Amino acid sequence: MTSIIQYFPVNLSEIHSQHVVMAVTGYSIVFLSFFLLALLFSVIPKFLSWNIRRTFDDEGDKVKKALAGNMIPGEVSAAISMAISLYLDELHDQENAILTIRKVGKTYSPWNSKIYNVINTNRFQ
Amino acid sequence: MDGLMQLYGYSGFANATPGHLLMILVGMVFIYIAIRFEYQPILLVPIGFGILIGNTPFIEHGGMALGIYQDGSVLNYLYQGVLKGIFPPLIFLGIGAMTDFSPLISNPKLILLGAAAQLGIFMTYLGAISLGFTNTESASIGIIGGADGPTAIFLSSRLAPHLVGSIAIAAYTYMALVPLIQPPIMRLLTTQKERRIKMKPPRSVTKIEKVIFPVFGLLLTGFIAPGSLPLLGMLFLGNLLKESMVTKRLADTAKNAMIDIVTIILGVTIGASTQATTFLTHSSVLIFILGATAFMFSTAGGILFAKFMNLFLSEENKINPLIGAAGVAAVPESARVAQLEGLKADPTNHLIVHAMAPNVAGTIGSAIAAGIMMSFLL
Repeated sequence: MTSIIQYFPVNLSEIHSQHVVMAVTGYSIVFLSFFLLALLFSVIPKFLSWNIRRTFDDEGDKVKKALAGNMIPGEVSAAISMAISLYLDELHDQENAILTIRKVGKTYSPWNSKIYNVINTNRFQ
Repeated sequence: MDGLMQLYGYSGFANATPGHLLMILVGMVFIYIAIRFEYQPILLVPIGFGILIGNTPFIEHGGMALGIYQDGSVLNYLYQGVLKGIFPPLIFLGIGAMTDFSPLISNPKLILLGAAAQLGIFMTYLGAISLGFTNTESASIGIIGGADGPTAIFLSSRLAPHLVGSIAIAAYTYMALVPLIQPPIMRLLTTQKERRIKMKPPRSVTKIEKVIFPVFGLLLTGFIAPGSLPLLGMLFLGNLLKESMVTKRLADTAKNAMIDIVTIILGVTIGASTQATTFLTHSSVLIFILGATAFMFSTAGGILFAKFMNLFLSEENKINPLIGAAGVAAVPESARVAQLEGLKADPTNHLIVHAMAPNVAGTIGSAIAAGIMMSFLL
């Protein structure tokens, strides 16, 4: 136990009030900046949809105005993306009907040579 | 014969110490876990190999200028990018060009989890003070809890340059070990019922919002913590290059060629900076222990804050507390861990999209925390 304390000499009296104040203030500032960022980006979509509605209102387009700002849910976006992806992947269904025959060549190797096997069999007898 | 003896005297065999051999072993372990288990291979392979380069023994006072700490050596020139804090902002530029902030924009309240998960930074700062480290050293050690390598290197190069190597190695090691460190804490602090919470799918985000985010994000965080400007300025610039869609070439370079080049040089030089003669000290051991504590506190901070937020949220808006652990910045490892733990509790519950929100927020959070530390201590 003594050796552990020697290696890790924890001394809580080293922590002064200025250190605690710095830690608490620092943590609070991180929270504050994120809180403001969260607040800002909660308001921005509402402002954007209000702005779009106002534009459609000026144009007199009631249908578009009613739909404006209704964000598409992620599941719907995913379904649309999947449909587009599948459609694009299926485009190769119309084949060009050109067949290519590639020559299959066997490279020579003495390891699989029939001649060597036949000739050498006699030598070992 | 004298010539041969001189040659032997210059060789690694004559200058090897047990410390060198130990560090060579550590380098090999890094390379092994990077290749065998694919834990952060992009970082661990260059760092591991850098450890081998830095710990191949040679005569340090032979006038050959080989070592990373020797003026005029090639490695020393490359290391200036670390010491002067040049590489981290460049890496942040690439990260910005790769990062999609949509999950965060679509559900802004999740950004608070990224703030909560910075708990480890400030708790470890106090822990390091109690262990006798100076104020600036403690702040540099604490930033390991942000789980962001470039931020840790940036802050320590400003506040405690003599500890950069140890802090960077600790930060990257624990980032690689996120899949081992976080799950036990996640299971300890959450109930089975909480782990099964299904969150509402995020809404789609418009292009205008994506373009506005880096601009307002920079102005807001920059005004509050100007010390974080080198990092956050580059992060948000990279993101604007990506989201504006008119600078595709620049975004492609930032997120591919440039970040790769900087990562290689950064990894090798950080690895080489662990030269046994300067690295193997009692402080390095303490930094490793404090780094692990920082990671644990940060993980716990994110999870507990998610549970706290749930007290005020309606049933359909509840947050799965597992994603709180992703508030540490290790992108995307900690989000992946949240996903895997969520799947273990309920195989139909996919949390990765939700977890990416606190995950990217954690990157911003750790940079803000670094900026605040610099404002206090420089």
